Amino acid sequence: MFRGALKKGGPGGCGVMTLLALSLPLLSATPAFAMHISEGILPFPWAAFWYLALAPFVALGARRLNSVSREDLSIKPLVGLLAAVVFIISCMPIPVPTAGTCSHPCGTGVAAILVGPLVSVLIAAVSLLIQALFLAHGGLSTLGANTFSMGVVGSLAGWLAFRGTRRLGGSLAVSGFVAGILADWATYATTALILSLGIRGEAPFAPLFVKVVLAFLPTQLPLGILEGVITAGMVTLLYRKRPDLLVKMRVITEKELPVHA
Amino acid sequence: MAMHHLKAHSCDAAHPVTRIDPRVKLLCALALLVMVISCRGFAFPLLVSVLSLALCRSLGSPWRLLALRFSEPLFIAATVILLKMFFSGSDPLFSFGVAGYELSAYREGLREGVLIASRILGGVSLLAVVGFSTPFTELMAALSWLRVPQVLVDVALFAWRYLFLLLEEAQVVYNAQKNRLGYVGYRRSLSSFGTLAGVLVIKAFDNSQSITTAMVQRGYDGDMPVTLHRPLRLAEVASALLFLLAMIALRSSV
Repeated sequence: MFRGALKKGGPGGCGVMTLLALSLPLLSATPAFAMHISEGILPFPWAAFWYLALAPFVALGARRLNSVSREDLSIKPLVGLLAAVVFIISCMPIPVPTAGTCSHPCGTGVAAILVGPLVSVLIAAVSLLIQALFLAHGGLSTLGANTFSMGVVGSLAGWLAFRGTRRLGGSLAVSGFVAGILADWATYATTALILSLGIRGEAPFAPLFVKVVLAFLPTQLPLGILEGVITAGMVTLLYRKRPDLLVKMRVITEKELPVHA
Repeated sequence: MAMHHLKAHSCDAAHPVTRIDPRVKLLCALALLVMVISCRGFAFPLLVSVLSLALCRSLGSPWRLLALRFSEPLFIAATVILLKMFFSGSDPLFSFGVAGYELSAYREGLREGVLIASRILGGVSLLAVVGFSTPFTELMAALSWLRVPQVLVDVALFAWRYLFLLLEEAQVVYNAQKNRLGYVGYRRSLSSFGTLAGVLVIKAFDNSQSITTAMVQRGYDGDMPVTLHRPLRLAEVASALLFLLAMIALRSSV
Protein backbone atom coordinates (compact mmCIF):
# COMPACT_ATOMS: atom_id res chain seq x y z
CA MET A 1 0.00 0.00 0.00
CA PHE A 2 1.07 3.61 -0.66
CA ARG A 3 3.93 2.29 -2.78
CA GLY A 4 3.51 5.09 -5.27
CA ALA A 5 3.85 7.66 -2.57
CA LEU A 6 7.16 6.23 -1.45
CA LYS A 7 8.91 6.20 -4.79
CA LYS A 8 11.19 9.17 -5.25
CA GLY A 9 9.56 11.08 -8.05
CA GLY A 10 7.31 8.02 -8.33
CA PRO A 11 4.23 7.58 -10.49
CA GLY A 12 3.07 10.79 -11.94
CA GLY A 13 6.34 12.47 -11.10
CA CYS A 14 5.30 13.45 -7.53
CA GLY A 15 7.99 13.54 -4.86
CA VAL A 16 7.67 11.94 -1.47
CA MET A 17 7.06 15.18 0.36
CA THR A 18 4.45 16.39 -2.08
CA LEU A 19 2.48 13.19 -1.84
CA LEU A 20 2.83 13.19 1.91
CA ALA A 21 1.61 16.76 2.04
CA LEU A 22 -1.30 15.89 -0.20
CA SER A 23 -2.15 12.84 1.88
CA LEU A 24 -2.16 14.69 5.19
CA PRO A 25 -5.44 16.55 4.78
CA LEU A 26 -7.11 13.36 3.57
CA LEU A 27 -5.74 11.21 6.34
CA SER A 28 -6.10 13.81 9.05
CA ALA A 29 -9.81 13.93 8.41
CA THR A 30 -10.10 10.32 9.57
CA PRO A 31 -9.08 10.80 13.20
CA ALA A 32 -11.03 14.02 13.27
CA PHE A 33 -14.25 12.18 12.66
CA ALA A 34 -13.41 8.83 14.20
CA MET A 35 -11.20 8.39 17.18
CA HIS A 36 -11.69 4.61 17.00
CA ILE A 37 -10.96 2.15 14.25
CA SER A 38 -14.17 1.67 12.34
CA GLU A 39 -16.06 -1.60 11.96
CA GLY A 40 -14.78 -3.72 9.08
CA ILE A 41 -11.40 -2.02 8.61
CA LEU A 42 -9.35 -4.76 10.27
CA PRO A 43 -9.22 -8.13 8.51
CA PHE A 44 -10.44 -11.09 10.59
CA PRO A 45 -7.00 -12.44 11.72
CA TRP A 46 -5.98 -9.03 13.10
CA ALA A 47 -9.38 -8.44 14.72
CA ALA A 48 -9.07 -11.83 16.46
CA PHE A 49 -5.45 -11.15 17.43
CA TRP A 50 -6.33 -7.92 19.26
CA TYR A 51 -9.19 -9.66 21.10
CA LEU A 52 -6.68 -12.28 22.26
CA ALA A 53 -4.18 -9.59 23.27
CA LEU A 54 -6.89 -7.83 25.26
CA ALA A 55 -8.24 -10.94 27.04
CA PRO A 56 -5.63 -11.16 29.86
CA PHE A 57 -6.09 -7.48 30.73
CA VAL A 58 -9.88 -7.88 30.88
CA ALA A 59 -9.42 -10.96 33.09
CA LEU A 60 -7.05 -9.05 35.41
CA GLY A 61 -9.40 -6.05 35.48
CA ALA A 62 -12.38 -8.28 36.30
CA ARG A 63 -10.43 -10.01 39.07
CA ARG A 64 -9.32 -6.68 40.52
CA LEU A 65 -12.84 -5.22 40.41
CA ASN A 66 -14.34 -8.35 41.96
CA SER A 67 -11.87 -8.28 44.82
CA VAL A 68 -12.30 -4.53 45.47
CA SER A 69 -16.09 -4.68 45.28
CA ARG A 70 -16.11 -7.40 47.94
CA GLU A 71 -14.70 -4.80 50.36
CA ASP A 72 -16.77 -1.86 49.12
CA LEU A 73 -20.18 -2.52 47.58
CA SER A 74 -20.32 0.91 45.95
CA ILE A 75 -17.33 0.28 43.69
CA LYS A 76 -19.15 -1.67 40.97
CA PRO A 77 -21.89 0.96 40.53
CA LEU A 78 -19.19 3.63 40.64
CA VAL A 79 -17.21 1.94 37.87
CA GLY A 80 -20.43 1.67 35.83
CA LEU A 81 -21.11 5.37 36.29
CA LEU A 82 -17.52 6.25 35.43
CA ALA A 83 -17.93 4.21 32.23
CA ALA A 84 -20.96 6.38 31.44
CA VAL A 85 -18.88 9.52 32.16
CA VAL A 86 -16.06 8.29 29.88
CA PHE A 87 -18.67 7.55 27.21
CA ILE A 88 -20.08 11.09 27.48
CA ILE A 89 -16.63 12.74 27.56
CA SER A 90 -15.46 10.78 24.53
CA CYS A 91 -18.55 11.87 22.59
CA MET A 92 -18.04 15.57 23.26
CA PRO A 93 -16.54 17.43 20.31
CA ILE A 94 -13.53 19.67 20.96
CA PRO A 95 -12.51 22.11 18.25
CA VAL A 96 -8.90 21.53 17.17
CA PRO A 97 -7.65 24.87 15.84
CA THR A 98 -4.60 23.56 13.95
CA ALA A 99 -6.66 21.09 11.93
CA GLY A 100 -9.78 23.25 11.65
CA THR A 101 -11.95 20.33 12.73
CA CYS A 102 -13.47 18.79 15.84
CA SER A 103 -12.18 15.74 17.63
CA HIS A 104 -12.91 14.21 21.00
CA PRO A 105 -10.88 13.22 24.04
CA CYS A 106 -10.36 9.62 25.25
CA GLY A 107 -11.26 10.10 28.90
CA THR A 108 -9.43 6.97 30.01
CA GLY A 109 -6.57 8.98 31.51
CA VAL A 110 -8.76 10.35 34.27
CA ALA A 111 -10.47 6.95 34.75
CA ALA A 112 -7.06 5.32 35.22
CA ILE A 113 -6.03 8.00 37.73
CA LEU A 114 -9.19 7.37 39.76
CA VAL A 115 -9.66 3.59 39.64
CA GLY A 116 -6.31 2.28 38.40
CA PRO A 117 -5.28 0.97 34.98
CA LEU A 118 -6.77 -2.52 35.26
CA VAL A 119 -10.31 -1.47 36.15
CA SER A 120 -9.99 1.33 33.61
CA VAL A 121 -9.69 -1.37 30.91
CA LEU A 122 -13.24 -2.50 31.81
CA ILE A 123 -14.46 1.10 31.72
CA ALA A 124 -13.00 1.59 28.24
CA ALA A 125 -14.44 -1.74 27.04
CA VAL A 126 -17.96 -0.86 28.21
CA SER A 127 -17.81 2.67 26.86
CA LEU A 128 -16.57 1.45 23.47
CA LEU A 129 -19.16 -1.34 23.36
CA ILE A 130 -22.02 1.14 23.81
CA GLN A 131 -20.50 3.47 21.21
CA ALA A 132 -20.11 0.61 18.74
CA LEU A 133 -23.64 -0.72 19.21
CA PHE A 134 -25.57 2.53 19.25
CA LEU A 135 -23.44 5.24 17.62
CA ALA A 136 -21.43 3.28 15.02
CA HIS A 137 -18.23 4.70 16.53
CA GLY A 138 -15.75 1.83 16.35
CA GLY A 139 -17.29 -1.60 15.96
CA LEU A 140 -17.68 -5.10 17.34
CA SER A 141 -14.93 -6.62 15.19
CA THR A 142 -12.59 -3.76 16.16
CA LEU A 143 -13.67 -3.64 19.82
CA GLY A 144 -10.64 -5.70 20.87
CA ALA A 145 -8.23 -3.42 19.01
CA ASN A 146 -9.88 -0.20 20.16
CA THR A 147 -10.07 -1.34 23.78
CA PHE A 148 -6.44 -2.41 23.63
CA SER A 149 -5.30 1.01 22.45
CA MET A 150 -7.63 3.16 24.57
CA GLY A 151 -8.18 0.89 27.57
CA VAL A 152 -4.89 -0.93 28.00
CA VAL A 153 -2.22 1.36 26.53
CA GLY A 154 -4.04 4.67 27.18
CA SER A 155 -4.90 3.76 30.78
CA LEU A 156 -1.45 2.38 31.57
CA ALA A 157 0.29 5.41 30.05
CA GLY A 158 -2.01 7.82 31.92
CA TRP A 159 -1.67 6.01 35.22
CA LEU A 160 2.12 5.60 34.99
CA ALA A 161 2.54 9.23 33.96
CA PHE A 162 0.37 10.44 36.85
CA ARG A 163 2.09 8.28 39.47
CA GLY A 164 5.54 9.01 38.06
CA THR A 165 5.03 12.77 38.02
CA ARG A 166 3.57 12.71 41.53
CA ARG A 167 6.57 10.73 42.74
CA LEU A 168 8.87 13.31 41.19
CA GLY A 169 7.09 15.97 43.24
CA GLY A 170 4.66 17.24 40.60
CA SER A 171 1.46 18.89 41.77
CA LEU A 172 -1.94 17.33 41.08
CA ALA A 173 -2.52 19.73 38.18
CA VAL A 174 0.84 19.03 36.55
CA SER A 175 0.50 15.29 37.06
CA GLY A 176 -3.03 15.34 35.64
CA PHE A 177 -1.82 17.37 32.66
CA VAL A 178 1.02 14.94 31.90
CA ALA A 179 -1.31 11.94 32.39
CA GLY A 180 -3.93 13.39 30.04
CA ILE A 181 -1.38 14.13 27.33
CA LEU A 182 0.39 10.79 27.50
CA ALA A 183 -2.84 8.77 27.72
CA ASP A 184 -4.09 10.46 24.55
CA TRP A 185 -0.85 10.24 22.61
CA ALA A 186 -0.18 6.65 23.65
CA THR A 187 -3.71 5.72 22.55
CA TYR A 188 -3.19 7.22 19.11
CA ALA A 189 0.30 5.80 18.69
CA THR A 190 -1.17 2.36 19.36
CA THR A 191 -4.12 3.04 17.06
CA ALA A 192 -1.63 3.98 14.32
CA LEU A 193 0.26 0.74 14.96
CA ILE A 194 -2.90 -1.37 14.85
CA LEU A 195 -4.17 0.38 11.75
CA SER A 196 -0.86 0.06 9.89
CA LEU A 197 -0.57 -3.64 10.74
CA GLY A 198 -4.18 -4.25 9.73
CA ILE A 199 -4.37 -2.47 6.39
CA ARG A 200 -0.84 -2.72 5.03
CA GLY A 201 -1.52 -5.81 2.91
CA GLU A 202 1.75 -6.75 1.18
CA ALA A 203 3.38 -3.36 1.72
CA PRO A 204 6.23 -2.83 4.22
CA PHE A 205 5.08 -1.85 7.71
CA ALA A 206 7.43 0.97 8.74
CA PRO A 207 6.69 3.55 5.99
CA LEU A 208 2.95 3.10 6.40
CA PHE A 209 3.21 3.39 10.18
CA VAL A 210 5.16 6.63 9.85
CA LYS A 211 2.52 7.97 7.45
CA VAL A 212 -0.38 7.08 9.73
CA VAL A 213 1.42 8.68 12.69
CA LEU A 214 2.08 11.79 10.60
CA ALA A 215 -1.55 11.83 9.59
CA PHE A 216 -2.68 11.71 13.22
CA LEU A 217 -0.37 14.59 14.19
CA PRO A 218 -2.42 17.61 13.03
CA THR A 219 -5.36 16.66 15.24
CA GLN A 220 -3.89 14.48 17.96
CA LEU A 221 -0.88 16.59 18.89
CA PRO A 222 -3.02 19.58 19.94
CA LEU A 223 -5.86 17.34 21.13
CA GLY A 224 -3.45 15.54 23.50
CA ILE A 225 -2.49 18.89 25.00
CA LEU A 226 -6.17 19.85 25.29
CA GLU A 227 -6.92 16.52 26.96
CA GLY A 228 -4.05 17.23 29.35
CA VAL A 229 -5.56 20.62 30.22
CA ILE A 230 -9.01 19.05 30.71
CA THR A 231 -7.63 16.20 32.86
CA ALA A 232 -5.70 18.70 34.99
CA GLY A 233 -8.89 20.78 35.33
CA MET A 234 -10.89 17.73 36.40
CA VAL A 235 -8.36 16.58 38.98
CA THR A 236 -7.95 20.06 40.49
CA LEU A 237 -11.73 20.53 40.56
CA LEU A 238 -12.06 17.25 42.45
CA TYR A 239 -9.31 18.38 44.83
CA ARG A 240 -11.02 21.71 45.49
CA LYS A 241 -14.61 20.47 45.74
CA ARG A 242 -14.41 16.85 46.86
CA PRO A 243 -10.93 15.93 48.12
CA ASP A 244 -12.50 13.11 50.14
CA LEU A 245 -13.17 11.28 46.86
CA LEU A 246 -9.51 11.49 45.90
CA VAL A 247 -8.56 10.08 49.29
CA LYS A 248 -11.11 7.29 48.91
CA MET A 249 -9.69 6.38 45.50
CA ARG A 250 -6.14 6.58 46.94
CA VAL A 251 -5.12 9.33 44.54
CA ILE A 252 -3.92 11.45 47.47
CA THR A 253 -3.28 10.63 51.11
CA GLU A 254 -5.11 12.22 54.05
CA LYS A 255 -2.00 14.28 54.77
CA GLU A 256 -2.41 15.99 51.42
CA LEU A 257 -5.97 17.13 52.10
CA PRO A 258 -6.45 20.89 51.75
CA VAL A 259 -6.48 22.75 55.07
CA HIS A 260 -10.14 23.80 54.82
CA ALA A 261 -11.33 20.23 54.05
CA MET B 1 -24.03 16.06 20.55
CA ALA B 2 -23.40 12.78 18.78
CA MET B 3 -25.36 10.81 21.35
CA HIS B 4 -28.66 12.55 20.72
CA HIS B 5 -29.78 9.68 18.55
CA LEU B 6 -29.10 7.25 21.42
CA LYS B 7 -32.36 8.44 22.91
CA ALA B 8 -34.15 8.15 19.61
CA HIS B 9 -33.27 4.46 19.50
CA SER B 10 -36.24 2.20 20.20
CA CYS B 11 -37.27 -1.31 19.28
CA ASP B 12 -40.36 -2.24 17.30
CA ALA B 13 -41.50 -5.02 19.65
CA ALA B 14 -43.86 -6.57 17.12
CA HIS B 15 -41.28 -7.00 14.34
CA PRO B 16 -40.24 -10.64 13.71
CA VAL B 17 -36.52 -9.74 13.99
CA THR B 18 -37.12 -8.14 17.40
CA ARG B 19 -38.85 -11.29 18.61
CA ILE B 20 -35.91 -13.57 17.77
CA ASP B 21 -34.03 -14.78 20.86
CA PRO B 22 -31.20 -12.22 21.45
CA ARG B 23 -28.68 -15.05 21.86
CA VAL B 24 -29.54 -16.48 18.44
CA LYS B 25 -29.56 -12.99 16.93
CA LEU B 26 -26.19 -12.11 18.42
CA LEU B 27 -24.58 -15.37 17.32
CA CYS B 28 -25.95 -14.94 13.79
CA ALA B 29 -24.72 -11.35 13.68
CA LEU B 30 -21.25 -12.36 14.89
CA ALA B 31 -21.05 -15.19 12.34
CA LEU B 32 -22.12 -12.82 9.56
CA LEU B 33 -19.64 -10.21 10.76
CA VAL B 34 -16.81 -12.75 10.51
CA MET B 35 -17.99 -13.64 6.99
CA VAL B 36 -18.05 -9.95 6.04
CA ILE B 37 -14.61 -9.01 7.38
CA SER B 38 -12.94 -12.13 6.00
CA CYS B 39 -14.53 -11.73 2.56
CA ARG B 40 -12.18 -11.21 -0.39
CA GLY B 41 -14.82 -9.72 -2.68
CA PHE B 42 -16.94 -6.62 -2.20
CA ALA B 43 -20.25 -8.03 -3.48
CA PHE B 44 -21.13 -10.03 -0.34
CA PRO B 45 -20.46 -7.23 2.20
CA LEU B 46 -22.45 -4.82 0.03
CA LEU B 47 -25.29 -7.32 -0.20
CA VAL B 48 -25.28 -7.72 3.58
CA SER B 49 -25.31 -3.95 3.86
CA VAL B 50 -28.32 -3.56 1.56
CA LEU B 51 -30.24 -6.35 3.32
CA SER B 52 -29.44 -4.91 6.75
CA LEU B 53 -30.51 -1.42 5.70
CA ALA B 54 -33.78 -2.82 4.38
CA LEU B 55 -34.27 -4.59 7.74
CA CYS B 56 -33.53 -1.35 9.61
CA ARG B 57 -36.18 0.44 7.55
CA SER B 58 -38.71 -2.32 8.16
CA LEU B 59 -37.90 -2.03 11.89
CA GLY B 60 -39.15 1.54 11.63
CA SER B 61 -35.80 3.34 11.83
CA PRO B 62 -36.25 6.81 10.32
CA TRP B 63 -34.00 7.90 7.45
CA ARG B 64 -32.61 10.74 9.55
CA LEU B 65 -31.46 8.35 12.26
CA LEU B 66 -29.90 6.04 9.69
CA ALA B 67 -28.16 8.98 8.02
CA LEU B 68 -26.76 10.10 11.39
CA ARG B 69 -25.54 6.63 12.21
CA PHE B 70 -23.99 6.04 8.82
CA SER B 71 -22.45 9.49 8.33
CA GLU B 72 -19.19 8.64 10.06
CA PRO B 73 -18.69 5.15 8.52
CA LEU B 74 -19.59 6.52 5.07
CA PHE B 75 -17.02 9.27 5.46
CA ILE B 76 -14.38 6.78 6.55
CA ALA B 77 -15.28 4.45 3.65
CA ALA B 78 -14.95 7.33 1.16
CA THR B 79 -11.60 8.36 2.69
CA VAL B 80 -10.29 4.78 2.50
CA ILE B 81 -11.30 4.50 -1.17
CA LEU B 82 -9.56 7.79 -2.05
CA LEU B 83 -6.42 6.93 -0.10
CA LYS B 84 -6.11 3.45 -1.53
CA MET B 85 -6.92 4.61 -5.06
CA PHE B 86 -4.31 7.38 -5.15
CA PHE B 87 -1.56 5.91 -3.00
CA SER B 88 -1.63 2.19 -3.64
CA GLY B 89 -0.98 0.11 -6.74
CA SER B 90 0.99 0.34 -9.97
CA ASP B 91 -1.56 -0.06 -12.81
CA PRO B 92 -2.69 3.51 -13.64
CA LEU B 93 -6.43 4.13 -13.99
CA PHE B 94 -6.45 7.86 -14.70
CA SER B 95 -4.43 10.90 -13.75
CA PHE B 96 -4.91 14.64 -13.42
CA GLY B 97 -2.91 17.69 -12.53
CA VAL B 98 -3.05 19.34 -9.10
CA ALA B 99 -1.05 22.53 -8.49
CA GLY B 100 1.41 21.64 -11.21
CA TYR B 101 1.78 18.00 -10.16
CA GLU B 102 0.23 14.98 -11.74
CA LEU B 103 -1.79 12.77 -9.41
CA SER B 104 -2.51 9.20 -10.56
CA ALA B 105 -5.21 6.78 -9.48
CA TYR B 106 -4.44 3.06 -9.55
CA ARG B 107 -6.66 0.15 -10.41
CA GLU B 108 -5.47 -2.18 -7.59
CA GLY B 109 -5.79 0.63 -5.08
CA LEU B 110 -9.35 1.33 -6.13
CA ARG B 111 -10.19 -2.39 -5.82
CA GLU B 112 -8.64 -2.63 -2.33
CA GLY B 113 -10.35 0.58 -1.25
CA VAL B 114 -13.78 -0.55 -2.41
CA LEU B 115 -13.25 -3.91 -0.65
CA ILE B 116 -12.42 -2.25 2.70
CA ALA B 117 -15.25 0.27 2.25
CA SER B 118 -17.73 -2.53 1.55
CA ARG B 119 -16.59 -4.35 4.70
CA ILE B 120 -17.07 -1.17 6.73
CA LEU B 121 -20.59 -0.68 5.39
CA GLY B 122 -21.49 -4.36 5.79
CA GLY B 123 -20.26 -4.48 9.39
CA VAL B 124 -21.86 -1.20 10.43
CA SER B 125 -25.21 -2.15 8.86
CA LEU B 126 -25.19 -5.48 10.68
CA LEU B 127 -24.57 -3.78 14.00
CA ALA B 128 -27.34 -1.30 13.22
CA VAL B 129 -29.84 -4.17 12.85
CA VAL B 130 -28.72 -5.67 16.17
CA GLY B 131 -28.85 -2.26 17.87
CA PHE B 132 -32.26 -1.29 16.49
CA SER B 133 -33.90 -4.65 17.18
CA THR B 134 -32.54 -5.62 20.61
CA PRO B 135 -32.89 -3.82 23.94
CA PHE B 136 -29.52 -3.26 25.61
CA THR B 137 -30.42 -5.34 28.67
CA GLU B 138 -31.26 -8.33 26.47
CA LEU B 139 -27.98 -7.94 24.62
CA MET B 140 -26.12 -7.98 27.91
CA ALA B 141 -28.02 -11.08 29.01
CA ALA B 142 -26.97 -12.72 25.73
CA LEU B 143 -23.34 -11.72 26.34
CA SER B 144 -23.57 -13.18 29.83
CA TRP B 145 -24.85 -16.43 28.30
CA LEU B 146 -21.85 -16.33 25.93
CA ARG B 147 -19.60 -16.42 29.03
CA VAL B 148 -18.47 -12.79 28.85
CA PRO B 149 -17.20 -12.05 32.41
CA GLN B 150 -20.21 -11.26 34.61
CA VAL B 151 -18.47 -8.26 36.17
CA LEU B 152 -18.12 -6.67 32.71
CA VAL B 153 -21.82 -7.25 32.04
CA ASP B 154 -22.71 -5.74 35.44
CA VAL B 155 -20.62 -2.64 34.75
CA ALA B 156 -22.22 -2.28 31.30
CA LEU B 157 -25.71 -2.53 32.82
CA PHE B 158 -24.90 0.11 35.44
CA ALA B 159 -23.41 2.35 32.75
CA TRP B 160 -26.45 2.01 30.50
CA ARG B 161 -28.91 2.51 33.36
CA TYR B 162 -27.33 5.78 34.50
CA LEU B 163 -26.04 7.06 31.18
CA PHE B 164 -29.19 9.05 30.42
CA LEU B 165 -29.30 10.48 33.93
CA LEU B 166 -25.73 11.75 33.58
CA LEU B 167 -26.49 13.00 30.06
CA GLU B 168 -29.33 15.11 31.41
CA GLU B 169 -27.12 16.45 34.19
CA ALA B 170 -24.40 17.23 31.65
CA GLN B 171 -26.96 19.10 29.54
CA VAL B 172 -28.14 21.14 32.56
CA VAL B 173 -24.56 22.09 33.52
CA TYR B 174 -23.67 22.84 29.88
CA ASN B 175 -26.71 25.12 29.45
CA ALA B 176 -25.91 26.94 32.71
CA GLN B 177 -22.30 27.45 31.59
CA LYS B 178 -23.39 28.59 28.15
CA ASN B 179 -25.88 31.10 29.58
CA ARG B 180 -23.04 32.56 31.64
CA LEU B 181 -20.82 32.89 28.55
CA GLY B 182 -18.78 29.87 29.61
CA TYR B 183 -18.06 28.94 26.02
CA VAL B 184 -17.00 32.34 24.74
CA GLY B 185 -13.34 32.26 23.80
CA TYR B 186 -11.08 29.25 23.55
CA ARG B 187 -9.47 29.40 26.97
CA ARG B 188 -12.78 29.84 28.77
CA SER B 189 -14.36 27.03 26.73
CA LEU B 190 -11.60 24.66 27.78
CA SER B 191 -11.95 25.65 31.41
CA SER B 192 -15.74 25.17 31.23
CA PHE B 193 -15.32 21.80 29.56
CA GLY B 194 -12.92 20.67 32.28
CA THR B 195 -15.37 21.82 34.96
CA LEU B 196 -18.24 20.04 33.22
CA ALA B 197 -16.27 16.79 33.05
CA GLY B 198 -15.20 17.17 36.69
CA VAL B 199 -18.79 17.81 37.80
CA LEU B 200 -19.85 14.64 35.97
CA VAL B 201 -17.23 12.63 37.89
CA ILE B 202 -18.49 14.11 41.19
CA LYS B 203 -22.10 13.28 40.19
CA ALA B 204 -20.99 9.75 39.34
CA PHE B 205 -19.42 9.35 42.79
CA ASP B 206 -22.44 10.75 44.60
CA ASN B 207 -24.94 8.76 42.54
CA SER B 208 -22.97 5.55 43.08
CA GLN B 209 -23.27 6.04 46.85
CA SER B 210 -27.03 6.61 46.78
CA ILE B 211 -27.55 3.77 44.28
CA THR B 212 -25.58 1.39 46.51
CA THR B 213 -27.57 2.41 49.59
CA ALA B 214 -30.84 1.85 47.73
CA MET B 215 -29.64 -1.49 46.36
CA VAL B 216 -28.31 -2.74 49.70
CA GLN B 217 -31.74 -2.03 51.21
CA ARG B 218 -33.14 -4.34 48.52
CA GLY B 219 -30.68 -7.12 49.31
CA TYR B 220 -27.70 -6.26 47.05
CA ASP B 221 -24.59 -8.12 48.23
CA GLY B 222 -22.19 -7.24 45.42
CA ASP B 223 -23.53 -9.63 42.81
CA MET B 224 -26.21 -8.71 40.35
CA PRO B 225 -28.93 -11.36 39.96
CA VAL B 226 -27.92 -13.74 37.20
CA THR B 227 -30.33 -13.62 34.29
CA LEU B 228 -32.23 -16.85 33.91
CA HIS B 229 -32.06 -18.04 30.33
CA ARG B 230 -34.88 -20.08 28.91
CA PRO B 231 -33.73 -23.06 26.84
CA LEU B 232 -33.11 -22.20 23.20
CA ARG B 233 -36.02 -23.12 20.93
CA LEU B 234 -35.11 -25.81 18.42
CA ALA B 235 -37.06 -24.06 15.66
CA GLU B 236 -35.13 -20.82 16.20
CA VAL B 237 -31.76 -22.56 16.25
CA ALA B 238 -32.61 -24.58 13.13
CA SER B 239 -33.82 -21.45 11.31
CA ALA B 240 -30.64 -19.59 12.29
CA LEU B 241 -28.47 -22.45 11.04
CA LEU B 242 -30.39 -22.57 7.76
CA PHE B 243 -30.03 -18.81 7.39
CA LEU B 244 -26.29 -18.97 8.01
CA LEU B 245 -25.88 -21.86 5.57
CA ALA B 246 -27.74 -19.84 2.95
CA MET B 247 -25.46 -16.85 3.62
CA ILE B 248 -22.36 -19.06 3.35
CA ALA B 249 -23.64 -20.37 0.01
CA LEU B 250 -24.39 -16.83 -1.13
CA ARG B 251 -20.93 -15.66 -0.05
CA SER B 252 -19.18 -18.33 -2.05
CA SER B 253 -21.35 -17.73 -5.12
CA VAL B 254 -20.98 -13.94 -5.42
